[in-house]
This record gives sequence, structure tokens and C-alpha cells, in this order.
Amino acid sequence: MRFLPLNSAQRQGLLGSAMLSLLILAIVGAYYLWGESYQARMLYAVFVNLLVVVGLQVFTGNANITSFSHAAFMGIAAYVAAICVTPIAMKAISLPDAPWGLNAFELSALSAALLALLITGLLGLATGLFMARLTGVGVTIVSIAILVIVHSIFLYRTDIFKGNQALFGIPKIFDLPQITALVIVAIFIARAFRESAVGLKLRASADDEVGARAMGVDVFKVRLIAWVVGTLFFATAGIAYAFYLGTISARPFYFNFVFLTVSMLILGGLRSVTGAVFGTLMISMGLELVRWLETGPVISGIKFPEVLGLSGLLLGVVIVAVMAFLPRGIMGNREIEDFVKRKR
Amino acid sequence: MLEISQLKVFHGVIEAVHGIDVSVSEGQCVSLLGPNGAGKTSTLSAITGTAKSTGSIRLLGEDMTRLSIEERCRKGIAISPEGRRIFSNLTVRDNMLMGGAMRRDRAALLSEIGEWFERFPILGERAGQMAGTLSGGEQQMLAIARALLSRPRILLLDEPSLGLAPQIVAKIFEIIRELKSRGITILLVEQNAAAAIGVSDKVYILNNGRISRQGAAAEFGDGSDLMDELTGVHS
Repeated sequence: MRFLPLNSAQRQGLLGSAMLSLLILAIVGAYYLWGESYQARMLYAVFVNLLVVVGLQVFTGNANITSFSHAAFMGIAAYVAAICVTPIAMKAISLPDAPWGLNAFELSALSAALLALLITGLLGLATGLFMARLTGVGVTIVSIAILVIVHSIFLYRTDIFKGNQALFGIPKIFDLPQITALVIVAIFIARAFRESAVGLKLRASADDEVGARAMGVDVFKVRLIAWVVGTLFFATAGIAYAFYLGTISARPFYFNFVFLTVSMLILGGLRSVTGAVFGTLMISMGLELVRWLETGPVISGIKFPEVLGLSGLLLGVVIVAVMAFLPRGIMGNREIEDFVKRKR
Repeated sequence: MLEISQLKVFHGVIEAVHGIDVSVSEGQCVSLLGPNGAGKTSTLSAITGTAKSTGSIRLLGEDMTRLSIEERCRKGIAISPEGRRIFSNLTVRDNMLMGGAMRRDRAALLSEIGEWFERFPILGERAGQMAGTLSGGEQQMLAIARALLSRPRILLLDEPSLGLAPQIVAKIFEIIRELKSRGITILLVEQNAAAAIGVSDKVYILNNGRISRQGAAAEFGDGSDLMDELTGVHS
């Protein structure tokens, strides 16, 4: 067997993933015990972001190459899943002009999700063949191009995607338990990838590409694998998004969302899966706090002014401050289990 | 085992090595000595495929010149590069695993890594630490162990003693002597002539990209008469 025995880093990876899963379960548990129902929607959104940021860690984190196209892949999967799963009767109203019989069929939730994963994965493979050949900045620029192209298609093919109008009538298939399960599976997969032979080769090539090649690493191959695996994470997030909200539009799959998720990864520390999880949770909590401050609350008798746009400002400040003072993020190279294991 | 002939090495338009012949036989340790800028590292780069070159490089009779860096590694060329170049953001253990990155026999690889940790207990103690936190000598031991974990046909060592304290240098050469006694074929690039000659079977002196002298190590004595050639001063 090629994969056995597990080396010690891989055993630690299992421990770390289990610890992060407990943290996720604790958050969900706290919601069921004390939360109010409107917070379910908030928590669901945080977990969708978590899927994306953990997926970003797979390529951007391990290869240390920034990419911005994840919102595009997420959007593609969301639309594919939504169009496939929406009942024909509903599509007669929401997509009356859809070409190629898109409004004349419907699939089960499972088939819709699998088809969305397949299509997004194939697009990931097609773009990956270019991406894996490019060097650092090239990837970043091409990824922005992909984001803009896909967004333009969403906007201008209104017969299929409705543009900035909502594509409505998607049945609600997922709820908190399903996304929680997905997040936990995603954490285990991302960590397993990081500690796998491919993940290790990718991290080594990020450190010293020529050095890694001199050890027999096919850098193109490991980058391509990571790119496609990452794409599947984004697709999963997109499907989960469409399966919960009931309506989707093009706007969320664009720059705002890209910067939100990238700053989550940067804050946590892109080299570590724990960093991806912590960064997502911290920025999500921070943003909730800021949104509350934005409205001009009354704290101990003092009325604070309304400051709209504070949340955008906060994201900018977080990116700049982390880059300046904590260039490797909160976690750096560490993972959660490093806090509990004896230092050796 | 390794036959290099008429090797020219280029960095952009600059020709750093002007057509040299070097041969290393199985089980031998061969030294390539010379002052800074003589073309020693360029020669090794041509062998690993990281620098452009013309001429022929044959390993066990097979031509390497058309192969990529990673294919040459698979054919059995391993290097401990100048300045160590360990993966500083990977743990010591992950660096070792990278040495055996193309091996399929995981169980054997893990047990060999265990053996290296017994040989260099300091590396074993720091197995989970980032390799960038190691001292220069420890990094050099790691770089040598990592190169050998690919089970190479030939090991290239680029200035393993560079920047290390004298007692660490002695230890590194002790390791090289031991590797040689285990039958490992070594091509050693060094500025420390005396120590290099001490472990070598054959010596080449490289000056300004040309071989100025070559012969059995015994002909070079303790290397003290090489001072002029190695400092680049011509009397």
C-alpha cells in the first residue's frame, strides 16, 4: 500500500482535524442550545465561507500562489445545481426563455449536485492546465480574468442566469446539519491533502521550486491536482449555497466575496488548515460586531453615530495590518494540535 | 559511472565553464576544487540540469543532457546544494520525506528516516521543528541525509563545509568518509582543499572554467602546494 503506514505528521493531521471538528460541533451545539432562529442563516453563511476558505488553503495555501477565481467556480456550481434541481413548473416562471431545454428537465438533488461538481471540476481541470504552468503573479492575473469573464457571462446571459435579478424557486434541500457535516468532511480532506505526498511536494515547491524538482517532483502535476481539488471545494460551497437560500443571483460571486474570503485566509495564516478555520470564524464574528456598530447602537446610554461602510473598511484594515505585522497570519506554519502536543 | 566530456556551462550569454572532462568511477569520491567563480557550482548545476550546458553528461552510459531536472533525479542524481537549501518552511521530518519523494516503498523510507534520526540524534529531537530553525551544521546534515534518501547512484556535494565552524567541518568530512566506506559514489565540490583531498580518490582543480590540474589524490599531498591555484593567484 502506498498510503500506509501513516507518518507522524499524518497522524497529527487526523488529531488536528478532529479538534477542529469538535470546535465546529461546539459552535453548532451552542446555536441549538442558546441561539435564535435568525442566527441559523448567519451560521449557515459562515459555514459556506468556511468551505471556500478551506478550499482556498488547498491551492493558494500549499502552493503559496494567490488566486481570485474561486467565486467564479462557486457561482458556476451554484447555478448548475440550482438550474438542475428547480422543478419544471417553477422554471416555467423563473426561466421562461432558457435555451437548450434548460427549463424542460429537473434532476434529483443528488444528481444535480453531482452534475454541478462534475462540470465545475472539468472547468477546474481545463483552467488548471494553464494555471499550473504559470508562475506566481501570472496565476493571480489569469484568475482575475476568469472571475471577470464568468461574472460577465452571469450578467449578460440573463436567459439562463437572470443576471442581477434573482433566480428563484430553488427548493430548500440543505439545512444546518448538512452544511456542518460538509464542513467537517472538508476540514479532514484539506488536512489530509496538506499532509499527503502531493501536499508535501506542493509545499516544498512553494519553498524552493528548483530544489523540489531536483528531488524528482513534477511541479506541474502537483499544482494541477491541488487546483482541481480546490475547485471541487468551491463547487461544494456553491451547491450548499444554492440548496439553502432558495434564490441566487450573480452579485455574491464577485470581488466582494473574493476579498472577504481571501482576507479570512490571510488573517488565519494561509499555510495552515487551522488558520483557514480560525480566520473565517474571527472575521465572521468581527463583521457581525461591526455590522451592529454600523447601525449606531446605544451602549450604556451613549448613542453611537451610524457609520455605514465600516465593514468594508474593516476588511481593508485587516488585510493591511496582517500583511504588515503578521505576514504569516495568526497560525503561521502551526496547526491546532501544535498547541496541545508536547514540544519536541 | 559519471562521464562528463567537453562540458560548457552557460549562465545566460556568459560561458562559465569552457569544455571540461570529468569522470567519476563507481564507489569513488572525486573532488572538484577551485577558487570562487571557477565554475564548480556551475558544473554541478549542469549535471542536475538547473543550468544550460553543451557537451555530454553520461550516467552509467546513459545520456542525461536532454533530461529535465526531475528526470535526472529519477535516474539517480542527488545533490546537497550550495548553502544547504533545505525547505525552511517544512519540518525536519518533511524535508527527509521530500528526499524520498519519488520512492514508492513508503515503509522502507520511513524506517530509513528513523535510521538517520538515530545517526543524527539532534535531527531526531527536532523532527517536528521547522528546518529553517536549525543551525548551519544541522542543516548540512539534513541536506546530506535528504539527498541520500532518494537512494542515488551518485551524490553531488556542493561546498558542504561552507560557513561552518571547524569542529562541525571535521564532523561533516567524517560523514563523507563514512558514506564513501559504504560504497556511495560522491562528487565533492570544495574550497577546503586539505579536507577534500583527505577523503578523495581523485582530484580536479578548476580555474576560470578550465581544468588546470588533475590526478590521484595522493599526488596532491595535503594540498598545501595548491594555494596559488586555489586562491586564483598565478605566479
